[in-house]
Amino acid sequence: MDTFLTLVGGFGALADWTVLGFMIGGFLIGTFFGAMPGLTSVLAIALLLPITYTIDVVPALVMCASIFMAGMYSGSITATTINIPGAPSSMMTAIEGNQLMKKGFGANALGHAALASMIGGSIGAVLLMAFMPVAAEISLLIRTPGKFSLVLFALVVIIIVDRGAIAKGVVATLLGVMFATVGIDVLLPIPRFNFGTETLVEGIDIMPLVIGAFAISEVLIQAQNWNAASGIPDPDSKDLKIRRRDFIPPWSEIRRIGFVTYVKSAIIGYGIGILPGAGGSMAAFVSYATARGASRHPEEYGKGSREGIAAAESANNSMCGGAFVPMLMFGIPGDPTTAIVLGVLVINGLQPGPRLLENQADLIAPMFASLFLSALVLIPLTLFLFGPYFVRIVSIPKGLLYSAIAVVALVGSYVATYSIFQMSLAVGFGLLAYVMRRQNYSTVSMLLGFILGPDLEQYLRRSLSLSDGNPMVFLTSPDSLFFLLLTALFIYMILFRARKKPSVL
Amino acid sequence: MAVNRFMRAGIMFPLALIVVTTIYMGAAFGIRSQFSTPGEVSPRAIPLLTAGLMYVALLVVLFQELRSAPGEPDGSGSGTFLRPALVIVATAAYILLFRPLGYSLSTLLFVGSLFFVFGFETRRPLRFALYAIAVTAAFYGLFALVFGVRLPTFPGFAI
Repeated sequence: MDTFLTLVGGFGALADWTVLGFMIGGFLIGTFFGAMPGLTSVLAIALLLPITYTIDVVPALVMCASIFMAGMYSGSITATTINIPGAPSSMMTAIEGNQLMKKGFGANALGHAALASMIGGSIGAVLLMAFMPVAAEISLLIRTPGKFSLVLFALVVIIIVDRGAIAKGVVATLLGVMFATVGIDVLLPIPRFNFGTETLVEGIDIMPLVIGAFAISEVLIQAQNWNAASGIPDPDSKDLKIRRRDFIPPWSEIRRIGFVTYVKSAIIGYGIGILPGAGGSMAAFVSYATARGASRHPEEYGKGSREGIAAAESANNSMCGGAFVPMLMFGIPGDPTTAIVLGVLVINGLQPGPRLLENQADLIAPMFASLFLSALVLIPLTLFLFGPYFVRIVSIPKGLLYSAIAVVALVGSYVATYSIFQMSLAVGFGLLAYVMRRQNYSTVSMLLGFILGPDLEQYLRRSLSLSDGNPMVFLTSPDSLFFLLLTALFIYMILFRARKKPSVL
Repeated sequence: MAVNRFMRAGIMFPLALIVVTTIYMGAAFGIRSQFSTPGEVSPRAIPLLTAGLMYVALLVVLFQELRSAPGEPDGSGSGTFLRPALVIVATAAYILLFRPLGYSLSTLLFVGSLFFVFGFETRRPLRFALYAIAVTAAFYGLFALVFGVRLPTFPGFAI
């Protein structure tokens, strides 16, 4: 109860104008990046990662949370207006929202997306605050062999989620693990893979990897796909004219969707957020499919269903709350955004785990409050204030935009440590990630392999050391056995059972 | 035709990774631990296991790539590689010149070169120059003035 009250007390930190400014600034940045096709909130947080070196941990985390929430919501803007999802999680919204746009109800669709994002995001944040103390209690019960099996479970799920490219997922994850082994050994004071250089003894920092994998590779991809004549609809065209009052969804339509749909979708999104590797796209897809299956108006789906928009948007914003649970309790990020937030924690000397909530809840609580307020207040407020201008974001010249991103990425990687080596490393990772993306290797898997690799090694070696080298410890330890069985269950569900089931769409 | 089948990026990339993995594995064999207790896993065990799994995964990828017809898109076919290559060259030059020339001049040149690569305002020199100066100044303001970061300066100048 005390922990819950401390978490609720995080709202007090937002009364500080500086912290509030970072929350609002982060939300606007996240909205911009989320609404711009090709840019994502992950890229926004990646670009801002070096800046977190120069600011306090509370505003840094508050900003990350608001970017996360904004990015998840704002993907629906271009998904609706020009049928290009600003973020992958808005794919289902594009199906329904753009149909409504074509019928002349674009503002109404955006209003429904914002309302569902607001409800889902708020519920996700409340669930996060309410169940975090419980999750902390449970995590204390997990011993070292169990932690190994949990990390293994996370890595396996992350790889098999992309059923079409499992071998490539394994390669990308192992590549991340290999990068993570550079530097001092996780248990002993022995340098590994430094190839005789002093610079590599300290290991590879997460920052150049994040900037390279998400920012520089994006600039290179855009450079390759560059087509100056590529057409994005004219934002001044008549179809895209939007008035503020049109954003407010009529009460009759909200009642028709039903409050149950919003809440059920939010719970689905939160639950999926807890699973490693699942992310907003899966949350939106599962929730959309569930809502369609239970709908009283299934014939509207695919033709502009407001219920479909509500289900998808409520779920993907609620996912934000769920994604923080494994990251904060076990250091296992469920998606790339929380992986980078984990980087922010580590940079500031905070170690994820149940003790984090006991000893440093005052630093974490404002982040939860930011997640809640971003959903409840900033989503509807920004839509009302800036909604008519949102669609114009896509008219920013891409040459200017990507040149600016390249400067932020490179200078950002320099300012974090004042090191030209870090800049070069970021470019090296950027080039690698560019090739990987062209060849359909997941850079997210590489990042998660980099983050989880050291934990996997540490827990494995500690467990074996404690059991005199007996690997049966992973089967005789109940918590470890539970996670190994869970891993087997997920492999069956995702790889085998899903193959037998026909597509829901 | 046979050459095309093997020279695709889908084949070349895993082959390059096999070379990297071999170097990694060689270095892993060179890791020596002076401390050892019963049941303890050596610091080179996980790297060796990782390299072993990497070989298996790369062989599976190679097998899948060889099975796919050479004409099938492998994700590398669209667009031109000239522009990414130019971006890399410009970036390498930027990193080399960042400290000697200082933030302002090196960034101005870098932004200008990227504008050329992306074909942004290349027909209107005045706008081209103004935008390049604006981008350079905007990020100087963000990093140096807002966040108080010390950026390198041109010798003898304040910025």
